[in-house]
Amino acid sequence: MDEKKEEKDQAVENNAVSDGYDEQKGKYMTFLSGNEYFGLKIQYVSEIIQFQAITEIPKTEDYIKGLINLRGKVIPVIDVRLRFKQEPFEYNDRTCIIVIDVKSTIVGLIVERIAEVVEIKEENILPPPSIGRVDKSCHKYIYGIGKVGDDVKLLLDPEKLLNDDLSSLEQASEVKNEEE
Amino acid sequence: MAEEFSTEGMLDMYLFENEQLLEQLQDMVLEQKDAECFDEDSINEIFRTMHTIKGSSGIMMFDNITAVSHKLEDIFYYLRESHPDNVPHLELVEHVLEVQDFISNEMDKIRNGDSADGDSSEIIARLDAFLEKIKGEDGEKKKKEQPAPNKHVEPSQFYIAPVASSASRFYRIYITFFKETEMVNIHAYQTVYALKEVAEDLLYSPEDLISDESSVETIFKDGFKLLLQAQCSEAEVRELIGVGYDIEKVDVYECSAEEFLQGFDFGADKPVIESNVKKDEEGAQAGKTEQATPKPGDFVVKSKEPGKRKTLAKDKPKAEKSSFISVNVSKMDQLMDLIGELVISESVVLQNPDLKVPGLNLNSFNKAAAQMTKISTDLQNVIMSMRMVPLTNTFQKMNRIVFDVSRKLGKDIEFVMVGEQTEVDKNIIEHISDPLMHMVRNAVDHGIETNEERKKSGKREKGKVTLSARTEAGKVWISVIDNGAGLDREKILAKARKQGILDENRPDSAYTDKEVYQFITMPGFSTNEQITEYSGRGVGMDVVIQNIQAIGGVLDIDSSPGEGSTMSLKIPLTLAIIDGIVMETGNSSFVLETGVIEQFVHVTEDMMIHEPDGEEYVMIRGECFPVLRLGKWYGLKEYENSVENGMMLIVDVEDKKICLFVDRLVNEQEIVVKPIPSYIKKVKGLSGCTQLGDGSIALILDPGGLLE
Repeated sequence: MDEKKEEKDQAVENNAVSDGYDEQKGKYMTFLSGNEYFGLKIQYVSEIIQFQAITEIPKTEDYIKGLINLRGKVIPVIDVRLRFKQEPFEYNDRTCIIVIDVKSTIVGLIVERIAEVVEIKEENILPPPSIGRVDKSCHKYIYGIGKVGDDVKLLLDPEKLLNDDLSSLEQASEVKNEEE
Repeated sequence: MAEEFSTEGMLDMYLFENEQLLEQLQDMVLEQKDAECFDEDSINEIFRTMHTIKGSSGIMMFDNITAVSHKLEDIFYYLRESHPDNVPHLELVEHVLEVQDFISNEMDKIRNGDSADGDSSEIIARLDAFLEKIKGEDGEKKKKEQPAPNKHVEPSQFYIAPVASSASRFYRIYITFFKETEMVNIHAYQTVYALKEVAEDLLYSPEDLISDESSVETIFKDGFKLLLQAQCSEAEVRELIGVGYDIEKVDVYECSAEEFLQGFDFGADKPVIESNVKKDEEGAQAGKTEQATPKPGDFVVKSKEPGKRKTLAKDKPKAEKSSFISVNVSKMDQLMDLIGELVISESVVLQNPDLKVPGLNLNSFNKAAAQMTKISTDLQNVIMSMRMVPLTNTFQKMNRIVFDVSRKLGKDIEFVMVGEQTEVDKNIIEHISDPLMHMVRNAVDHGIETNEERKKSGKREKGKVTLSARTEAGKVWISVIDNGAGLDREKILAKARKQGILDENRPDSAYTDKEVYQFITMPGFSTNEQITEYSGRGVGMDVVIQNIQAIGGVLDIDSSPGEGSTMSLKIPLTLAIIDGIVMETGNSSFVLETGVIEQFVHVTEDMMIHEPDGEEYVMIRGECFPVLRLGKWYGLKEYENSVENGMMLIVDVEDKKICLFVDRLVNEQEIVVKPIPSYIKKVKGLSGCTQLGDGSIALILDPGGLLE
């Protein structure tokens, strides 16, 4: 628990100095999902909250778990494991929700376990190999592999994480434009 | 009034005031567009409006606006003074509207932080030509009358002098302006404005600075005199007035309260003063009347009238404006949100599980709670009514569109507005403005036939477009009615077939008229063969539909060939807070607007009718309703299967009735509607979400969506 609290403080601290872009540069919030550690640029993370009751929304993708009430604000939450097409897991009191803000879209990510905030230097980030250990389905969300000592963290592109059908949306609107 | 006299505040003020002036101007002009000519009051009003705009634009250094408004002012000055006959009225109306457009345009630029760089020369040339034309036509027959400036006169006022507090000091101020200063009256007004910040009482002479041109001369001749009662020192007064490039000399004399009450001590209106002095001496309160004054619009021969007195307390805006203040919309929204939160937290408190402990004496708590509920309901009603805006402005805009389009197309059209005072939530007004514009444009362009066609079919040549609004059952109905040719069913069907929208297996006759008419709302669908400036490309109606659906409204199209068509929008009165029934199915909570629920019924198994394909019906008092099981429809878990343990809701949606089956009802409460985050794509039958008393989230059902 202490570990988590510390990270939370750190995240808050990092947010507090949001002007100091350099402070946040190269820092990644890492979490465990399945057998892999994933990293998310710290500037996307707005806060980490305890797991709370979720209102399900029918007829949506299975990874969209529903809505939560974050201090009067309604935000959607998605299950990262289901998003990566991994096996579902049981939520418990260790389960956390990382609230991220990607271009004003605020979404909560349910993750199995939050690890730590690490600093990964530019030169330690490799492009994802075309055939690698990474599970194919989550390949598209990953823009790089960061090395921290002997460990590897899979760095996530949050925009792709949230919207995989971006391209199809654009196509749709193009078609519509032509009609007009 | 803590506002500083900064240019920024001035700019806001300038934009706001001029916008209102222009709106009034447009309304007035359009109101009289069908008349032979403007009546005298309107001419004076337009003249004054232009004069005010010219003056304020001059201060703000928007030269092009100043120039254009000056030109139009010239025209109306001529009209006013010389009463020319044979003024081509419609042409004049167009010129006024043209100027109004130009200024609005420039003001938009200024508002967006761009410079007002529109070219005014063209429009001025046109106005010049027009002025020449009417002058020429009118000949020299009006020469004899010497133009007499119109005097704008404030209605007489009664004024109670404030009781002088001991800290108040009285000053007599004389300001001399440099002779070469232009628009000295406006500079004087700036001084007055600055002093108003501190003034407990302020009199100045000449009184009518802005709208009376003679004030300029008076100021030059006699200087600008002020009487000030304030709590500040002489040095502070001087600082407020400031000695700029325009002011030559400022004299500030401190005087006693008696002297102050005597007003400006000079010639012309001494008798009045004397009578006042007597009254003044009798007590601290003094009633003061003004001289009998001519009514606005009367032509008064200018007499030498130095310093008329005017009294004002802190601020004295025009009477009709005094009851309004303008508030930033975002502040209103914030207030709205806060009240929403308050309503929620109120129910958190009142439904708190801690209160359910048996044996608790809650008598006085319940009393207090009832009082609080009442206040918060009142509060909600007040904020809702604050957000309600009459449709008048939106409708007036349509008037303009009808005028423009019909002139361009050469159609003669009468525009009638009904029920424009109907009030609608401000957010909704924003959403319906565009759709209405499309609908009105369509009505004028497609709906009404050309003059020749109308003559041929034996109709009155003048077409008629009616825009009406009314409230009914918590919804607002806005209809655009034209008496044109109506929609051509065959033509629409043919076009629909060409576009492949029609179901091949369905004969044409199987489509109801309403279904056919709905085709015109499809994107890219237009039966107009020719693309005109206004319509024909098939956008428009689908935009209408999208906008209307975004606020939970529906479009209803009705038409009869040869007699015209009616397009009606049915939209909710407000989006923010609704009365809803909270119910549960499985583990989820849902809310349904109370208004659409006709009744709750408990049914037994023998009332149910099962079709082999899984469809279900229920017979209630001899009526048969289709049944929709919410749990099954949404694929929820653990929902009630037996109809005897659940609850049936008869829901009335768009003239159809369905039975909604849910597990149980929870309560009825006011709910604050929040949108479902846009990240989640639209789910059929859900229109939003809300926070319940215990902080959990319930989904708001959209009965229209359930029906599909």
